[in-house]
Amino acid sequence: MAVLDYLQFVLAPQMVTGLALGVAVVLVALGLTIIFGLLDVINMSHGEFYALGAFVALALGSIGLPFWLLLILVPLALLPIGYMVERGLIQRVFHGGDRHVTTLLLTFGLGLVIEDVLKLAFGPNPHRPETPISGGVELLGVFVPNYRLFLIIAGAVVIAAVAAVVYRTRLGAMVRAAAYDRHMAASLGVPVKQVYAGAFAFGVALAGLAGVLLAPIYSVFPTMGRDFILLAFTVVIVGGMGSIAGAVVAGLFLTQVQAIASLYISPVWTDPIVFGIMVVMLMVRPQGLFGRLGHA
Amino acid sequence: MTSTLRLLSALLAGTAAIAATPALAADPIKIGVVTPLSGTYAGIGQQVRWGLELAATEVNAAGGIMGRPVELSFEDEEANPSVAVQKAEKLFQVNKVDFLTGTVNSGSTLAVGQLAERAGKLIATTVSFADSITADKCSPNVFRVNARAGQQSAALASWLAKEKPQAKVFYLGPDYEMGRSTVAAFRSNVDRVGGSSLGEVFAPLDSKDYTQYFGQIRATRPQVLYTSVAGTDTVRLFTQLQEFGLLGNITVLGASGTVTAQNIGAIGKAADGFVTGVGYSAEIATPENKRFVEAFKAAAKTDPDLYGADSYGLIFAYKAAVEKAGSTDTDKVREALRGLTWKTPQGEKTLRAGDHQAEQTMYVVRVAGGQFKIVSEIPGPDAIGADTCTKF
Repeated sequence: MAVLDYLQFVLAPQMVTGLALGVAVVLVALGLTIIFGLLDVINMSHGEFYALGAFVALALGSIGLPFWLLLILVPLALLPIGYMVERGLIQRVFHGGDRHVTTLLLTFGLGLVIEDVLKLAFGPNPHRPETPISGGVELLGVFVPNYRLFLIIAGAVVIAAVAAVVYRTRLGAMVRAAAYDRHMAASLGVPVKQVYAGAFAFGVALAGLAGVLLAPIYSVFPTMGRDFILLAFTVVIVGGMGSIAGAVVAGLFLTQVQAIASLYISPVWTDPIVFGIMVVMLMVRPQGLFGRLGHA
Repeated sequence: MTSTLRLLSALLAGTAAIAATPALAADPIKIGVVTPLSGTYAGIGQQVRWGLELAATEVNAAGGIMGRPVELSFEDEEANPSVAVQKAEKLFQVNKVDFLTGTVNSGSTLAVGQLAERAGKLIATTVSFADSITADKCSPNVFRVNARAGQQSAALASWLAKEKPQAKVFYLGPDYEMGRSTVAAFRSNVDRVGGSSLGEVFAPLDSKDYTQYFGQIRATRPQVLYTSVAGTDTVRLFTQLQEFGLLGNITVLGASGTVTAQNIGAIGKAADGFVTGVGYSAEIATPENKRFVEAFKAAAKTDPDLYGADSYGLIFAYKAAVEKAGSTDTDKVREALRGLTWKTPQGEKTLRAGDHQAEQTMYVVRVAGGQFKIVSEIPGPDAIGADTCTKF
């Protein structure tokens, strides 16, 4: 009986909430890995675009737009912002000597600017949008809130759709071609500049979508971008920079490690475990679990 | 010869007088403020800032401290002790502040307190809860004008004994000095009033997801959940408790800082029924407090909470002490602060000489319909607890 109690009340809910968190992390990591895989840019402002998405949703929600519409509107609103950031800022340093360092510093600075602009515009206090679906269901005796169930399903759909676009469409093929060999792709008629800016905008829009989806659970405040960013980077490194499958596998794996480990040891120690896995991965298999998107 | 000397001395005296009087009058008293302006506790730092700025404006309008204006210098501590120490060092060494306040994170207060001892300056916290700051880790250079964990818990436990006798309690605190101290303080009070403790769990500061602890809470089936998370952490905890349907059958109690004016809007309905022991409420119906709440709202467009009120009051304690000492000298101001009784919006407070802890009336406050309502009042001497400081 005690064992059943333990399974029903402790272990199973832990794994289910770990799964919801895992989907959330994968959503954030997805944009990051696409931008890295295709553009070779480490986007340090990714967390702030996630926050921006949540705040845009908050602002639009406060004028009465329904949540379901925001799921489409917010990523669309972030597309032009991402496009302009790539063309106006990143392209300026992209062809310089040390691309990784200059783009990393540029996006890091951009992240600080976005965070402070959000603080000026909305104040430092947290906001919380109403949960669009309340209540919960019992699945095999495990209580799961309806919104978390929705998050898991919607996240899976988004991930599948992104993978389908990148690997199964002509557009995706052009993007991968541009990432693999920019000059060859250009000479074959691929509009490389637009593809780069478009891919960056796509990654930013994904971060914004994650912001809308996660706002009702994690609430909205200017520094929320820092929440997921370390874990998202770890997921991208363990999964393999630029690999969508890698991000999914690593994201779900690492959050389950966190969830289950925190039952037995102090939750404070789950971070060292997760980052320890990253360090070991970098030592034994620096390219991560799966190869790079552009080179697959 | 004599005439030249006389002329010279007259000239010297004249220039000295010119140099001395206006310089003394205009020379500001500098107060450094190291407080979180970003991150989980940014909303708390904002209240601290509003409270201090309002008090400084009022003091300056009334002629300053001994005729000298008060000047505040702010630095962001990010609720991180190592950042707080760097920023405090800068304020002491570069800005040459006379006095320092603002630290929120209890770890920051303890760390900056040690720095103040080395720098020969005084600091005061208006926010930190950890009992140790004015108990076993007390410092001759550190004062606390807000209520510590023990005072809050004593007030809350008196409510618990009356409303939920023999309650079964589960504890959830942030995993650092403040969380451990508040949970220990309330736990000993629960034992004292005949309740039982089912278990405790400590989550990292700035946790995204508290649902991972709900399994343990469900399995032990408590009647009461005590928590001391604060800032945006509270918003997440309450949202998730509500999402998982746990608020229906559990009464949530907490530290003073768990639900305040700065986060109650975001928590919304989930905050209803929450009870805490606190040293301040905007509801206190004295003329002094009504005037303060009005002035605060005019400046900040929001209600003051305990942080805003305690920070506001500190400036008047420092003013009283400097005027009593006739100087900003560390030793003289320390002597003047010890045993000082002064007026604040929440009534009179007294800084106990033995451990530098302020004694003040405590209130039990309950949230109903998004508003704080005062349920009962506990006199200061009954809540403050023993003086266990042995360092001075």
